Amino acid sequence: MRLFSTQVLAIVTLACLPFSLSQTTAAADAGPQNAVQMTIDFLTRDDANLRAIGLERVRYGLKGQESTQQLAGLLPRLAPARQLELTAALSDRGDRAALPALLALLQSSSDATVRATAVQAVGVLGNASEVAVLTKSLGAADPEKSAARRGLAVVRGAEATALIAAAAKQGDAELRSTLIDVLADRRAVTALPDMVTAAVADDATVRTAAMRAIGKFGGPDQIVGMVKGVLKAAAGGERDDAERALVTVCTQNPRHEQSAAIFIEQFKSADDQTRELLLPALGRVGGAGAIAIVDGLIADTNAAKRKLGLTALSKWPDATVSDRLLDLLGKAQDPDERELLLGALIRIAPLPDNKLNNQQKLELLQKTMTLCTGDEDRRRVLERANAIRLVETLRFVAPYLDDPNLAEPACLSVVELAHHRNLRDSNKEEFTKALDKVLETTKNEELVDRANRYKQGQTWERKKPAGS
Amino acid sequence: MAYDSASLDKPLETLKAFDWGGDVAAFEPIDAAVIAVHADPAARADLEKRLSALLTAGTSRAAKEYVCRKLSVIGTAASVPTLAALLPDTENSHMARFALERINAAEAGAALRQALGTVQGDLKIGMISSLAGRGDTACIPMLAALLAGDSRTAVAAADALGRIHTPEAVQALTAAGGTSDQAVAAAIVDARLACAESLLKQGKRSEATAIYKSLADAAAAGTTPAAKSTRLAAARGILACLDTTSPS
Repeated sequence: MRLFSTQVLAIVTLACLPFSLSQTTAAADAGPQNAVQMTIDFLTRDDANLRAIGLERVRYGLKGQESTQQLAGLLPRLAPARQLELTAALSDRGDRAALPALLALLQSSSDATVRATAVQAVGVLGNASEVAVLTKSLGAADPEKSAARRGLAVVRGAEATALIAAAAKQGDAELRSTLIDVLADRRAVTALPDMVTAAVADDATVRTAAMRAIGKFGGPDQIVGMVKGVLKAAAGGERDDAERALVTVCTQNPRHEQSAAIFIEQFKSADDQTRELLLPALGRVGGAGAIAIVDGLIADTNAAKRKLGLTALSKWPDATVSDRLLDLLGKAQDPDERELLLGALIRIAPLPDNKLNNQQKLELLQKTMTLCTGDEDRRRVLERANAIRLVETLRFVAPYLDDPNLAEPACLSVVELAHHRNLRDSNKEEFTKALDKVLETTKNEELVDRANRYKQGQTWERKKPAGS
Repeated sequence: MAYDSASLDKPLETLKAFDWGGDVAAFEPIDAAVIAVHADPAARADLEKRLSALLTAGTSRAAKEYVCRKLSVIGTAASVPTLAALLPDTENSHMARFALERINAAEAGAALRQALGTVQGDLKIGMISSLAGRGDTACIPMLAALLAGDSRTAVAAADALGRIHTPEAVQALTAAGGTSDQAVAAAIVDARLACAESLLKQGKRSEATAIYKSLADAAAAGTTPAAKSTRLAAARGILACLDTTSPS
């Protein structure tokens, strides 16, 4: 570097001169003598392009802890907006040598955005030593709180995980649930036993977070604890969430078959009251083991048990029970029972992963349609039909465009099917005819707009749900 | 699959009258032969000769394009005369260059240089581009001379020198001096920056610094957006040159 030192003064002066005469004079007086100083000089400029050059060097160049410390040492001298830029660049740089300066910035700055950026950088660069400071920032308001959460999710090392897990066992419920979420984001397998314990904690927030976390990456070893969590959960939203987590472990996570088998064993060994609570989850888990139990309940002469069995069957995750449902529906006398079974068929038939191909899905839906006795059920069938992307679905739905009571759901399904260009273009004539009929029939302005667009080969962008 | 020259008789005959949009499946044996001759010099020479023969009059433009693409893969010095003959041909010049640019033989570069001295307009710019693509250092004096020519050609020549980026190319660009043509001036600056970046990548920091410094000097008094961009690029380059801790 010394090779350049004399030349550099001249070069930098020349390079910087035109940006601002006063700055140039200052730069020349300060006399940047090496690349770090030149970078620091650039980082203090008003010219965003020059700063970008300096920040690029911070991110990808000037290797070594000494350089990092020099660069980070600039932080207290910068205005908040510049502190943000440099903090983000130091975070990307990935050198822990910047940590003391970042922690000092966190101590001294009252600017919320600067603090949040510093916290996140501490998370990126930190390890177990920084868990305490990050945990403390979880008590702050946003954006610092969110940054602390993200920081804890990425802070390095098994020791850090252990410290977070220890912190998650104490403190107020909100802090505990946040830390449990962090452990879930970290896929902290070692913390799973603690999460199982937390799944039956006194506080609902902690229980919910624990079940949600186990649901993300739990396995067979957590099933017994999860069942306790489902039983401990308050009826309603909390239990639904807990069941969903248990079902995820039993149907999607690694070794889910083993998890499902353990759950079924747990179910079998439970008393009647517990079984009743676990039945909805059993139905959602599905599978051969569960169906035997459900069949037994449906065949029971006790009306309450039969209803439980039917409820479980109605929640089945795939179409493997469709024949049972059709059979039961054909024989059902009780209106509530019919409603339950019909609703299950309408739900299951077009499910994306229900173990049927599209043709079979449509056939099942058509069979279901024949069993409907009211227009409300027929409307639901027609609305669900558009999930089956076949021209045969269009042919099934199109005749209902002429039925005043069912025309609107039929219009919706025709338009939804037409949304898929490949399907529409390869059956253009049929779709044009159906879309013309939709335009004559529907009173829904959005459907009119979409039908017109599809007829002209245009696209339509689905509105995102609020908050997404 | 072994090379079978006789099996190409029909596809090559069909190829003569091929037009874009036609069925290319008939040429699959030729595609397969291009792969098959990879490690067989005798077969490769045979295929090259048969393909080159299709570049003469009597074959469609689409067929010539197809042949040039194949020769770009298997072509040698033997194909150069036939391809070179197409260089002044407006319709086929670019595909002939496509092949010559990729043929690993000094004769290909020589043919492009020869054409550079004779063709005009877009064809000349094409030759410049292909010579740059080959990294042809022998053409540097010709390119240097073109920097003083018409604007479009000079811009192409500057760009080519930047792509060749040898010390001789740097020298030619430095020697070009000032020009009142802004497009040419900008192209020369870009080319010099490209040379400096290349030198820096090679670890030749002082040579790169000299270019950046010279550019900064030249742009120091400028108030145009171009001058500011040049100063920024030079400043960035100088800083990178100073940073001896990082890979170039």
